[in-house]
Amino acid sequence: MGRVIVVTSGKGGVGKTTSTANLGTALALLDNSVVAVDADVGLRNLDIVMGLESRVVYTSMDVIEKQCELKKALVKDRRVDGLMVLPASQKNNKDDIQPEQMKAICDKLRTMNDFVLVDSPAGIERGFRNASAGADEAIVVTTPDVSAIRDADRIIGLLQNAEIEPINLIINRFSPQLVGNGSMMDQADVLDILNIDLIGVVPEDSGVITSTNRGIPLVYEEGSPSAQAYMRIARRLTGQRIPIPNLENKGLFSNLVNWFTKKR
Amino acid sequence: MSNSTVVLRAYRDGLHLIIRPHLSITEVEAAIQQEISRMNRSLTGASVQIDLKSPTLKKEEIESLSFKLQETYDLTVRNVEIADEPVAPPIAAAPTTHVISPTTDIRNHQNSEPSRIVPHTIRSGQTEECPQGSLIIYGDVNSGGEVRAGGDIVVLGTLRGKALAGMNGRVSAVIIAMDFEPLHLQIGDYVKNSPVSQEPRGCLKIARIGAEDAITVEKFVKS
Repeated sequence: MGRVIVVTSGKGGVGKTTSTANLGTALALLDNSVVAVDADVGLRNLDIVMGLESRVVYTSMDVIEKQCELKKALVKDRRVDGLMVLPASQKNNKDDIQPEQMKAICDKLRTMNDFVLVDSPAGIERGFRNASAGADEAIVVTTPDVSAIRDADRIIGLLQNAEIEPINLIINRFSPQLVGNGSMMDQADVLDILNIDLIGVVPEDSGVITSTNRGIPLVYEEGSPSAQAYMRIARRLTGQRIPIPNLENKGLFSNLVNWFTKKR
Repeated sequence: MSNSTVVLRAYRDGLHLIIRPHLSITEVEAAIQQEISRMNRSLTGASVQIDLKSPTLKKEEIESLSFKLQETYDLTVRNVEIADEPVAPPIAAAPTTHVISPTTDIRNHQNSEPSRIVPHTIRSGQTEECPQGSLIIYGDVNSGGEVRAGGDIVVLGTLRGKALAGMNGRVSAVIIAMDFEPLHLQIGDYVKNSPVSQEPRGCLKIARIGAEDAITVEKFVKS
């Protein structure tokens, strides 16, 4: 029986789809069978980020309307074994799907796979409810800025009300330089506010844009620090205990400056 | 500096003369004179509403006060409003300018109220309310969250959201938290936006209506 994990954030543009694509690929690279479900009905993106847009024939809407079998709608990623995507319909909108229908799809998918990653749309309305309906775990993605954190906080409250447990946090687009000169919140500040378990910190990386445009998830580029961060998160998801490296440590000098400038 | 016993305020419906509780008529008169002489604008011909925060002044006293206001300052009293419920003095956590009446036992008063415990952090978008009593939060109140209580609010964590104590107008209510980073504090009708505390983090702090007739945040000193 596989695990259904919803990837969500509240705020848009913080990296839900990028995280879903990369974690899905990374988990498949670690020999798991994975289905990434795009729950962003009407604004589908996951197929593009994973480079599978040209092969989408059926969508989750067709499955719900019984136009096709669930297996037929799954798009297989040919670069790695055991990775499939269930695309969302682009011509419908989020109100055309009921939470129970999403749950039924997730429950069917989990019998066949180790991991079902659901890419949630931004917002807290129907789209989010659909995405989280079948989930038993959640990954909340946030960037270290106050507006993303407030939205993440709201989403965590809603997930807790829905009794989705555990809820893990990814801090995305983290910039050690900005933290060093005091213009970005550090890891401890974010965790102090959100008060959930941190599963990984992904550094800011302009390579994300190229990888999105080319449809090749970052994790295939083994040298990139953000790819390594996603690989570590995938390993942690499978239960391996890997420490989270402190990205803030940028040498003795900046540490000393931090130590002197921080009031605490 | 504003006088804390008698305050002249302009509201939407005109001037209000607010008289704090536990005062004798002579104290009130002296304070009124001080308050009006403080104003550098003439109030001649203005009309004023008297807001009595508790019915400690007798009816004859109010009448003679109205007459004196008319005679001395040419102020017409258009209305007298008396708060029914006597306002409890603030807790004796730290010295305040509020007069503490020896007849009111604050402990009994607070014990008679139900208080509610919230055993988790209040996250963005969540609201907790206890209109009749005090609210105790085992956690933080995050930005976008809101807590409201008729009595006091105690946050055993960081207060980052909105807190409203004394929501039924009780100005003696206090807000206690480990750390204050709120967007908005309100005690009774008094509002303060993003107050910054000078105290170090991690030591208990208390917000209440202080000597300046405004909400102050300072280190909590136990009584």
